[in-house]
Amino acid sequence: MGNGGRFARAAGIAFGLIVLASAAQAAPPPLRIGWLSSLTGALSSAAIAQNQGVQFAVDEINAAGGIAGRKIELLTYDTAGDPTKAVNFAKKLVFEDKVQFVIGPVNSGESLATVPILAKAGIPNLVIGALDELIDPHRYPLAFRAINTNRQWISPANDYALKVLKRSKVALIGDTSGYGTASTKAAAELLEKAGVKPVYSVLVDPNKTDLTDEMGKARAAGADVVMPWSAATGLLARVLNARGEAGWKVPVVGHPALMAPPIRKLLNKPEYWENAFAVGYVSTTYTADGKLPERTQALLSRIRQKLGTGELDLMFWWVALGYDTVHIVEHAVKAAGGTEPAAIQKVLEATHELKGVFATYSWSPTQHNGFPDHNTLMNLANTFHDGSFQAAPQQ
Amino acid sequence: MLAALVTGIATGAVYAAVALAYNLMFSTSKVLSVTTGHLCMLGGVLGAWAMGNAHLPMPVALALAVAGGGLAGWITDVVAIRRVLARSDEHLWLLSTLALATMLQQAVGLWWGTEPKPFPRLLAQDFGAGLGDQKYWLPVVVAAAAALGLELFYRRTLYGKLFLAMSEDAFAARARGIPTDRIRSLSYVMAGMLGALAGFAAGQLTFAFFALGLTLTLNGFIALAVGGLGSNRGALAGGLALGLVNSLATYGLGGEYQQTISVGLLLLVLLLRPQGLFGVRALRPV
Repeated sequence: MGNGGRFARAAGIAFGLIVLASAAQAAPPPLRIGWLSSLTGALSSAAIAQNQGVQFAVDEINAAGGIAGRKIELLTYDTAGDPTKAVNFAKKLVFEDKVQFVIGPVNSGESLATVPILAKAGIPNLVIGALDELIDPHRYPLAFRAINTNRQWISPANDYALKVLKRSKVALIGDTSGYGTASTKAAAELLEKAGVKPVYSVLVDPNKTDLTDEMGKARAAGADVVMPWSAATGLLARVLNARGEAGWKVPVVGHPALMAPPIRKLLNKPEYWENAFAVGYVSTTYTADGKLPERTQALLSRIRQKLGTGELDLMFWWVALGYDTVHIVEHAVKAAGGTEPAAIQKVLEATHELKGVFATYSWSPTQHNGFPDHNTLMNLANTFHDGSFQAAPQQ
Repeated sequence: MLAALVTGIATGAVYAAVALAYNLMFSTSKVLSVTTGHLCMLGGVLGAWAMGNAHLPMPVALALAVAGGGLAGWITDVVAIRRVLARSDEHLWLLSTLALATMLQQAVGLWWGTEPKPFPRLLAQDFGAGLGDQKYWLPVVVAAAAALGLELFYRRTLYGKLFLAMSEDAFAARARGIPTDRIRSLSYVMAGMLGALAGFAAGQLTFAFFALGLTLTLNGFIALAVGGLGSNRGALAGGLALGLVNSLATYGLGGEYQQTISVGLLLLVLLLRPQGLFGVRALRPV
């Protein structure tokens, strides 16, 4: 190779380096968000739907140029609903992947294990588990909840049973899981605060094959409303089947899973789903004229193609919640002017009425539960249609 | 109370069928496979898919579920048992069958989904039949028929006698020219078919649910230990006893004590009669 050739090669390399350097200077580093999602395992239904919302929000924001010019890099880990895996992945996100935010995990049991780890590492964490104990501004100053608390599910259900249906003889049925046990206890406490002592209360294995006895005992105890607190659709379907086969016309009021689409197929007869009411959300409840709230409808129109053809067979509120979490990160980073955790905390604690699709969020220095009470309402359980529900009658 | 008894007998029959499948595999390999409950789960899921999704007639769905169970049983032997037994006398089969059971459950979860799904009606009967509903008595009929069939198989057929010979002394059986590997494989296929048949019959009771396997593995083992390892009559008695104790404990005390009482029953039997209700105390001449 002659001198001319060497010069041309050197010039080429130099030019390449300059281009690379300038490109590196031009493109700011990506914003790394960790997403702990139980995409497989026993608790995957909600996580899969949330994942659709999270991915869609990331794609939309990146297509529009990112957050303050920074593209989002989403690091998704499947925890399979296992707290041990959730802990391992949380540590990986913090110490190896060096993320700036963590969304999730999806389930409260997993979050109980990861929230302290993320708090210690000083990483802002958007909590999407409903268990009350997950949020504590003093112990976990960077943990902010984007979903309702468990009590925000229980209270409207209790109010509906006592004040709207005007029932006072409550039978509580919970499952023996940690969630079922805690919820049933909380429901009993809230009922007693309202001056009502349950006439019957029982915990059963979530896989118990028949609830005829429990429903029979509730009936014999004089119950005029049955309130199941369990996320196990199999158990809830068995409550409805036992009620239907006994010809008992008592209303069933309780957990949102009571209106989950899989229940429809588990019922012996479709009419067994009537006279059942579950806690839902304003954002995914049809108005009297059959329309969804504006923001929900707008997201649904944009995302529908990604969710497959035909009617949705998933609860759209999970999608909306996933979508909102990414936009909460966007709001925090934009307002804080970066990802410095103390600045993010300050911004989120000053956030008032941030309008999302799932809910309108507000946090303060003393209140890191951002979901307002008025965003829940009671739905008619058997009205699932295209991802949303009809409101329960108010008289 | 009557409902508690009927439910207890029905679920006890499912545990008994799982215990019978344990016995089949144990007789030729001295292995208590963790996949046993999963074979039952597979019968329920395959049956629900064949009838509910593929719209196949019930006899075809039954044949498919039983064949699927048999295949899973054979895979258990090939993947988790054969090489482990050939290379080691230690109880490594506990780990290998646990690994296979976990893989089987995850695979079914990914394919079938993680929510329980309905199992179609097998016989024309209105849902208003109450405690006479087929979901209660089908598992009982299948467990009783399986126990009877196995007794006849052991007593009246050459292969049954080969199973017994291997159960007594596998090394002596091999020395007398019995193809022990083939007989063991056959026992695993039969156990898979029996487990799947039980899962198919109990599908309306349990729903088709991917996570059922481990529960059935545990309860089937308790039933087996209570009844006596190796005894088919013991498996039936142990299954029914466990089902009734579980159901009556839930009825009387609530579900939070159910698991404690099940395991407490196991502990009690192990302390008072380690060989189980129908088991034979093993005597070792010294």
